[in-house]
Amino acid sequence: MQTIMIIEDDSVICEELTFLLKNEGYHPIPVRDFTDIPKQVAAGSPDLILLDIVLPGKDGFSLCREIRKSVHAPVIFITGRDSGLDEIRAFSLGGDDYITKPYNIPVMMARIKAVLRRGSGITETDAMEACGLVLNLAKGTVSSETGTAVLSRNELQILACLMEHAGEIVARADLVEMLWENKIYIDDNTLSVNMTRLRGKLEGIGKGGLVKTRRGMGYQL
Amino acid sequence: MTVMEFLEDRLGNIVFQAVFIIAASVFLLVTGTEAGILLLLFVIWFLFFVGIQTAAFFRYRSRLRELQNIMDGLDEKYLFAECVPKAGNVYETKLFDLSRRAGKAMIGAVSDARAAQREYREYVESWIHEIKTPITAAGLICRNANPEVRWKLSRELAQVEAHVERALFYARAESPEKDFFIRQTHLADLVDEAILQYRMLLMQSGIRIETGNMEQTVYTDGKWVIFIIGQLLQNAARYRGDDALVTLSAGRCGKQVWLTVCDNGIGIPAHEISRVWERGFTGSNGRSRGGSTGMGLYLCRRLADCLEIGTEITSEIGRGTKVTLIFPAKTGLKDRNNITNAVNTANLTNP
Repeated sequence: MQTIMIIEDDSVICEELTFLLKNEGYHPIPVRDFTDIPKQVAAGSPDLILLDIVLPGKDGFSLCREIRKSVHAPVIFITGRDSGLDEIRAFSLGGDDYITKPYNIPVMMARIKAVLRRGSGITETDAMEACGLVLNLAKGTVSSETGTAVLSRNELQILACLMEHAGEIVARADLVEMLWENKIYIDDNTLSVNMTRLRGKLEGIGKGGLVKTRRGMGYQL
Repeated sequence: MTVMEFLEDRLGNIVFQAVFIIAASVFLLVTGTEAGILLLLFVIWFLFFVGIQTAAFFRYRSRLRELQNIMDGLDEKYLFAECVPKAGNVYETKLFDLSRRAGKAMIGAVSDARAAQREYREYVESWIHEIKTPITAAGLICRNANPEVRWKLSRELAQVEAHVERALFYARAESPEKDFFIRQTHLADLVDEAILQYRMLLMQSGIRIETGNMEQTVYTDGKWVIFIIGQLLQNAARYRGDDALVTLSAGRCGKQVWLTVCDNGIGIPAHEISRVWERGFTGSNGRSRGGSTGMGLYLCRRLADCLEIGTEITSEIGRGTKVTLIFPAKTGLKDRNNITNAVNTANLTNP
């Protein structure tokens, strides 16, 4: 499990981030005492550091410089300040990424993942598996025991969302939101059209009734 | 100063001199001076009088021209009294003293106002950075709520965020120190970021967005452009029609890159289109739909002007509105990278 150190003085955000990262399968260490942070960082030996800029005592920039002396874990700055100057300073002090508040959670998670991946050299798999389906994200195809179907970009993302949450009910609104986060800007009606096509293709490979409609709630794989 | 103005100014003096010379002539004639001598005296007096007045006229005129040139050469006109060369006579000296005192009071007032404005801007900016922390926290907490509450709350939070962004960019646009940073940027990234940033408002209003041919490179400040595109998208969402679709497309025209944001919304009446960029202009659409502050497009224009981005808008009632942004060519940009200097002086150390 990868360890992520959270250096953020706002207790609510710190708590929620801890909760969120735990849910995503990381091991978060929130910093509660802001007196000797570099020492705590060295002791915790995290894989990644989330660092706020405005902190009690020392600011994030000087902290980053100090941390960098002993620890080589990547640093992501998380801050409410979004002037170009701050961003340049953050990168020049050895920051690996810079996220401004109020942040978009999926985007932040994606960036954390990207920075961790860059550090560890692990490449993410481009295939998913759930409910007897194998989704190849790189090729844009879905296969079952009986056959393979080529999906459009929209259908691919819809199915990927559903497979990621296999077994759970995914609300239509949430599905639309996830699609928007993946740069597919569609409305509710277009979702219905794409869903019909997707079901048609799944039927073609013998997985007809797999995507169930839960009235008033959403879809379920 | 024209000859007529000068004569008008001197009218009293001229009349007095004429009356005096007539009276003197009558007196001399009565006391037995010969008419020939009198004529000689009159001619000599007349030549002197005209000569003195002509000289005075040219002296005054050249002095006024000199002062006019100084005034024209000044950027801060209220510093005029500080810059005039030494006056020739006591009267002028006293006048300049008075106007210098008036000018000093003015300079004081102006610098106080500037300082107050700068402080206010600094406060607004820091306030905005502060407010983002609770908004972020609320957004994070909101994720744990049930879907319906989460959906509604996140829309309200998105509204708060949009208002806060506008306040931030208002402070930035109105301040004399414009801290934008021109960089080479991919237009596609800017568009995606703008959609992502305002997705809650856009998505929940049920619009579709299509983007095409975005692979263009522009030289501009990304944050400012993201804000501008965001405002245009919000307008498209607010004034949407049925089956709302927003199309973003880009292209290259010579060395310039253009980006259009085209919606199929309710459109803007022809007589209002020329006023949409005005500050506080809400128009009939804004009034009928409510929630319009008249600031969005005004800020877009202000920021675009700073970045030398051209703006065009066309609209047809019931058919939609099309806004085009025209990004300047790289070579056409003046050196207005104010922040670059700041960066150089900001003591950057790379560990």
